[in-house]
Amino acid sequence: MQPFTILTAAAVPLPIAKIDTGMILPGRYMRRHRRPGHDYSEAFLHDVRFDENEQPRPECALNDAAYGTPQILLTDADFGCGSSREGAAYAVMDYGFRALIGPSFAEIFYGNCLQNGILLVTLDEAVIHQLWAAVRARPGSEITIDLPNQLVIDPAGARHSFDINPLRKERLILGQDDISVTESHGAEIVAFEAKRRMAFPWLPITSQA
Amino acid sequence: MHMEGIDTMLSARTLFEKVWGEHIIVTSPQGEDLLYVDFNYLNEGGSFLAFDQLRLEGRTSRRPEQHLAITDHYLPTINRAAGVEGIPNPEIRNVVAMMAGNAADFGLPHLNMHHAKQGIAHVVGPELGISQPGMLITCNDSHTATHGAMGACAIPVGASNQLRHVVATQTVWMKRPRTMRITIDGALGTGVTAKDVILSIIRQTGIGGGAGYAFEYAGSTIRGMSMEGRLTICNMSIEAGARIGMIAPDDITFAHLAQCERAPKGEHWDRALAYWRTLPTDPGAVFDRELHLDAATVAPMVTWGTSPEDCSPIDGVVPDPSSFDDHERSRHVGRALEYMQLIPATPLSEIRIDRVFIGSCTNSRIEDLRAAAGVLRGRKVAVPGMVSAGSSEVKRQAEAEGLHRIFLESGLEWRDSGCAMCNGSNGEIVGPGQRCASTTNRNFEGRQGRNAMTHIMSPAMVAAAAIMGRLTDVRHLTSP
Repeated sequence: MQPFTILTAAAVPLPIAKIDTGMILPGRYMRRHRRPGHDYSEAFLHDVRFDENEQPRPECALNDAAYGTPQILLTDADFGCGSSREGAAYAVMDYGFRALIGPSFAEIFYGNCLQNGILLVTLDEAVIHQLWAAVRARPGSEITIDLPNQLVIDPAGARHSFDINPLRKERLILGQDDISVTESHGAEIVAFEAKRRMAFPWLPITSQA
Repeated sequence: MHMEGIDTMLSARTLFEKVWGEHIIVTSPQGEDLLYVDFNYLNEGGSFLAFDQLRLEGRTSRRPEQHLAITDHYLPTINRAAGVEGIPNPEIRNVVAMMAGNAADFGLPHLNMHHAKQGIAHVVGPELGISQPGMLITCNDSHTATHGAMGACAIPVGASNQLRHVVATQTVWMKRPRTMRITIDGALGTGVTAKDVILSIIRQTGIGGGAGYAFEYAGSTIRGMSMEGRLTICNMSIEAGARIGMIAPDDITFAHLAQCERAPKGEHWDRALAYWRTLPTDPGAVFDRELHLDAATVAPMVTWGTSPEDCSPIDGVVPDPSSFDDHERSRHVGRALEYMQLIPATPLSEIRIDRVFIGSCTNSRIEDLRAAAGVLRGRKVAVPGMVSAGSSEVKRQAEAEGLHRIFLESGLEWRDSGCAMCNGSNGEIVGPGQRCASTTNRNFEGRQGRNAMTHIMSPAMVAAAAIMGRLTDVRHLTSP
């Protein structure tokens, strides 16, 4: 997992409340492989970005080239509600976002994103509205997210502090997902397997590395 | 009290505590346990995301021999001879093909659609004796608790992140649940089965009542139950909110395992048996919660709503939403009856059905098929329906016993094995507006197809409903 420390990047507004995981990753993409060059970037918010005739919706800022290559999405309330599909976090990641800033996020989606190195920052609704206005006024303007100091620095230089669980913060900074934390216990797992194989020799615990 | 007695009480442990405790590798500062996974089953539903991510990360399978991939959710129950290419829906075909590719790429043994042992994971695992007492088992399916009937601690895992973790490390991080013992004592009446017991329990706990608990089912009724009945009980633990449901291994468990090809043999069998006998809950062990059920009060059950707790004895009526004190419950029932197109006070036995389904990880084992065939013998069904054996082995045994002829002569279809019409992943669905009597585990809105209406009940009760074309008390069915 890619570590997350300090990110300075263009931000794009998405002022639509209750974007659910079915909109983030439409069901029809869910039976599709994710491969390099053929990932979920096309699927990400597809029907929000495109109309029934596959034409880009002009009102959607994600279709506006003036925003450059944004890595920060400024969401509205309850982003990521709905089904627990973990593919929604992959879609966010594959599209190129490293952080989402919004007034509130659904709990399961929040966990799935952090597990994949995407930082979700919750700020007051009033601050979010300011951020929308700031980037709309100057599309392409950059926002800085300083995770070690838990700060968002807006295009005007104003600082907004945010909360995050200390363990999740540490894992993001170190780039550790669940698997890498577990791998740090590698020696204990090997020892456990050896002990278990001796005590319960009928179990299918194989010894090859 | 003697010191020894106090020590015994302090060290008295439940079945769950013994098995869970035996699998803790480390405990995190946040109190989550890193548990060793003795065996993991996986199906094609969603698992490709786990493999795609592992591939992108360059990770491999740590212990491939401790996994079994089983294609069960998306396989059609007909036309198997035509192979993967014979699956008409391209998306379903793709999911089936991806499972084979992922199992091959990661070196995992795979029961594919042509394998002689193919079936539903929760039927095949106990049938082959892979699931054994004292094991910690995972599977990317919510009905994984089924294997707990063998005395294992079997836990569902998420199809992508958690499954990916299990494949890569052979471990899983879990917070230890609290314990609840559900004791059922007494003899079950004629026509009353394990399915009716578990539905009665869920009616009592509600669908959230078991959340955060590991269940142990105990009492003389459970002790007297066959392996098949116990598997049905543990299977539906999740419908009460519990991810884990266990039954202490005993002579019935051991007699079953003694015939299984993947159970320990020879000296290993003797050592395993000695260990398995130490697993049952110690006298004096304390549970966080206790629940009791008198078997004599259990009647054949049917669901009338859109959640497994929405069930009543077949001699009851559709309830009035206003009869529930709890406001949320009352609102749910109102919405459920609207979806189910049912009017309060209608006798349940007057609800007409359009089709039946006998199958699923809940009720598709040989005893279930015998029970249904016993009711159908010499009779004709009034509505169409299908019977899907839980595994290819169950199918062969049913055919050896001539059960398939009873189903076919009654007018039902005799299909290959898979999850099938339980949730329709394989495209076999109940039509919109159609009402189905089903031996499955969930009656959620749209579970068997968009706008399909599901009534869940035991195999014998589904057979009776098929004959009469309406929900029917199997105890009142007169001889043909």
